Amino acid sequence: MHRRVFTIIGLLVILALPLSASQFVNVPFDQIATESRYIVRAQIGETWSAWDDAHEVIYTYATIRVNRYFGDATGPDTLMIREVGGTVDGYTQEAIGFPVIRAGQDVVLMLSTWEDSSDFRIHAFNQGKFLVNRRGNREVLTADPERQGEARLATREGGRVQTTASDDEAGISIEEFAQMVNDARAGRAAGSGLGRTQQQ
Amino acid sequence: MNRKSILTLAIAMVVVVSVAQSASAYVLLSPRRTWASGTVNVPVYTGGNSTITDGDGGVTAVVGAVKAWNVVTSSPTNQAAVRGQAPATIMLNTNGRICTGSCLAATLTGYYTGNTIYDADVYTNTKYKFYSSREADGCSAEFDIDGIMVHEVGHVIGIGHSNVAGATMYPTVSSCNAANRTLESDDIAAMLDLY
Repeated sequence: MHRRVFTIIGLLVILALPLSASQFVNVPFDQIATESRYIVRAQIGETWSAWDDAHEVIYTYATIRVNRYFGDATGPDTLMIREVGGTVDGYTQEAIGFPVIRAGQDVVLMLSTWEDSSDFRIHAFNQGKFLVNRRGNREVLTADPERQGEARLATREGGRVQTTASDDEAGISIEEFAQMVNDARAGRAAGSGLGRTQQQ
Repeated sequence: MNRKSILTLAIAMVVVVSVAQSASAYVLLSPRRTWASGTVNVPVYTGGNSTITDGDGGVTAVVGAVKAWNVVTSSPTNQAAVRGQAPATIMLNTNGRICTGSCLAATLTGYYTGNTIYDADVYTNTKYKFYSSREADGCSAEFDIDGIMVHEVGHVIGIGHSNVAGATMYPTVSSCNAANRTLESDDIAAMLDLY
C-alpha cells in the first residue's frame, strides 16, 4: 500500500515538473497510457531529418530498438518514430518545447500514430517520454528535461547522451511504471487525478 | 557565534540567494538568436478562431495583445504563414499539422547557423476552446488567447521559458487565466537582453 502511494507520488512529482513547451494541456497519466498504441522501452538508434513533401515542415525520424512492450499491446522489435523539428542543409526548424530525440538514448516511450499517417510519434509530447537512469543497481524513469529550443540541457560525452535528469531528480522504477500502465489500461485508474492542472 | 562567523554566514546567505535568483530567471532560446532587425513584425492571419465570439475570431484582440512586447508590431493580414519565410505569422485557425493532441499553441521557428531568426510562425490547436479580451461573454473553461499569444510571441522573438512564477514566459497556465497578457519584469529583462 505504501509502495503504491509512493509510486503515485513519484509520478506526480515527475508530471508536475514544468513542461517547457509551446503551450500544452497536461494530460493525466491514465489517459496517455490508454490512448497510446504502444508503450515501449527502447534504445534510440539512427536519426535523420528531412522536409515533408510540401517542403513546409522538417521532421526528424528515428529507428528505435524495442527491448520491452508494456501493457497488453505488443509489436515488432523495431519501430520508426517521427517528430517535428530538425536540421536539413544547415537550416534548423524547431517547435519550441517539443520533444527531442537523440541517438543513443535509453528511453520509455508512449507512442501513438500521427493523425494523417501511420507513422509513430511520442504521445502527449514530453509527457510520453521518460529517460531510463541507473541508480546503483536500480533503473528508474525520469522525465526528460530537454525540449526543442532548450538544447542547453543536454550535452554529449563520448557519444553518450547526458542530460540533467540527474540522480537528484525524482523517478520511479520500471516495474512500478509497468504496474501503472497495466492498471490504467485495465481501467483501474492507477494514476487518476494526476496532472489536472493545465500546463503550457 | 563570534562576529567573524556571523559575517561569514551572512555572506554565504547572500551568495546562496543570488545563485538561487539567477537560477530562477528568464531563459533565452538556445542557441541564442534574434531577428535581424530591432523591430519584429508579427501579423495575425485574418482567418480567426471559430470558438472566439468577439466578432473576428480573436484577430483584433491578438493584434493588440502581442504589442505588449514593445519590439513587436502587428496588424491583421490576409497572407497565411509561409514556412521558412518571414514575416512571423500567427495562425488562429489551424494547427499547422504540428499542434495536435495536448498542444494548445505552438511556435515553429527556423534559423541557419548563426544567431539570426529567419522565420517563426505560431499555430493554434482548434480542438480547444478559447476566449479573448474583446469577448463579451467572458470565460467558461476556455483558454485566454491574448495571454497565450503573448507567450508564444515571446518564443518568436527568442525567449524560452522562465522559472519565475507569474512571468508570462512561465511554462504553466490554467484555463480562464488572463495573467499572461501583462509582461512581468522577468519577461521585460529577457527582451532587453536580446534587443
